[in-house]
Amino acid sequence: MMKGLVKGLGVTLRNLTKKKVTYKYPDEPIKMPNRFRGVQHFDPEKCIVCNQCARICPTNCISLTGKKNPDPESKVKLIIDTFDLNFEICILCDLCTEVCPTEAIVMTNNFELATYSRDELFKDKEWLAANNTNIREENNVSLLKAKRGGAG
Amino acid sequence: MGDLLVQPLTWGSFLTFTVMAVLFLLLILGMVTYGIYFERKILGWMQLRPGPNRTGKLGLLQTVADVLKLLIKEDTIPSKADRPLFKIAPAISFVPSFVVLATIPYTDKLYFANLDIGVLYYVALSALSTIGIVLGGWASNNKYALLGGMRSAAQLISYAVPLVISAVGVVLISGTMNMIGIVERQEGWFWNWNFLPQILGFGVFVIAAIAELNRSPFDLPEAESELVAGYHVEYSGFRFAFYMLAEYVYMIAMSALITVLFLGGWHAPAPFLDFIPGIIWFILKFCFMFFFIIWLRGTMPRIRIDQLMSLGWRVLLPLSLANIFITAIVVEIIKAING
Repeated sequence: MMKGLVKGLGVTLRNLTKKKVTYKYPDEPIKMPNRFRGVQHFDPEKCIVCNQCARICPTNCISLTGKKNPDPESKVKLIIDTFDLNFEICILCDLCTEVCPTEAIVMTNNFELATYSRDELFKDKEWLAANNTNIREENNVSLLKAKRGGAG
Repeated sequence: MGDLLVQPLTWGSFLTFTVMAVLFLLLILGMVTYGIYFERKILGWMQLRPGPNRTGKLGLLQTVADVLKLLIKEDTIPSKADRPLFKIAPAISFVPSFVVLATIPYTDKLYFANLDIGVLYYVALSALSTIGIVLGGWASNNKYALLGGMRSAAQLISYAVPLVISAVGVVLISGTMNMIGIVERQEGWFWNWNFLPQILGFGVFVIAAIAELNRSPFDLPEAESELVAGYHVEYSGFRFAFYMLAEYVYMIAMSALITVLFLGGWHAPAPFLDFIPGIIWFILKFCFMFFFIIWLRGTMPRIRIDQLMSLGWRVLLPLSLANIFITAIVVEIIKAING
């Protein structure tokens, strides 16, 4: 009993010299792992208005409209007109990025999004297009397999 | 200071006494404030976290903020509680812990009272704190507070016995109960300090002292995470601050007593280090004891009430009695050898 106690005292004494495990957030920024799901980034050039993201969203937070592509030569029939994401109810589940065939909508690692009014939580196409920092590398899993040479 | 005490009391010396007592009280309050701060910091560092570091630079104003919070809280008294007892219980708990500080010699010149029965006086007063705790538990009119108060009284009484008996070993060696006398017989190198000849008594005294202070691992009456604060559950605001103050002042007093009785008071560990003033050595040893009590809190889990009782009566009491017998036999042998 005494030996265990003395060993315990030694452990706590050595702990005095070890590095602390506390994160110093918000004094120092936290680096999130790359697969972390933060707010989305939308690239309007890649969108083909297939509507899969709006259909699969569990909370119906995506609503989009498309218009006829003015360019007659390209294969894309519709291009995106408005793209609204109601961030109040978005649960960051990542299903929209999983089904998007062109990876037009992807997640970023940005999570510091607290605002003082609800209006700013209604993300539109311009905001989502401008939010292009810290983009995740892996988005649509099937496209990933294609990129990596379709192994297995 | 000592010569002022033996002269007849004049208005001037009365003023001096009052001013010194008030200054001492303020000093102790400051020590409690930073004692709490250092306890939280050291516990934090032992648990690989920084402790308070946001209020004020390095968190130094954290305790001040906490005390301010406690002072401005509402003073709730339960409706069926015994009001006079409820109000007086924290005071009864605090007063003995401050009064015993007057009898401890900090250096050979710096003391408030030079009692020939210093050790006995200390022990008698520290038992008075128990009444404050039982009163607090009873006056709250809350069965859990009463349970906590009863447990605490049982713990304090059962550990007061080995505490006193192990102190008797020191008195036997020193031949006097006067604390200045006890320290004077420990001069020389650090192996003259009482903790080596009385190693058994030292161990028993430290364990019993930690139990008397209601500190981890013996803090079941307080049990911050279990009994919901035991005997002071109904106390809020300033009265609760008083109980906490009493606990920390008592911790300071006990560390100071252990320093005086066992660690050589104001003597340096080696005679050639005498140029460093005695008060510095006293403070260093006292700080080490304080750190040890906090260290133990950060290391050990809490002991259950029945294990606590068995430890007190079945282990510490026989050990302290054995310590007295061995000490008495050795003292007699040495006396016989020296003729």
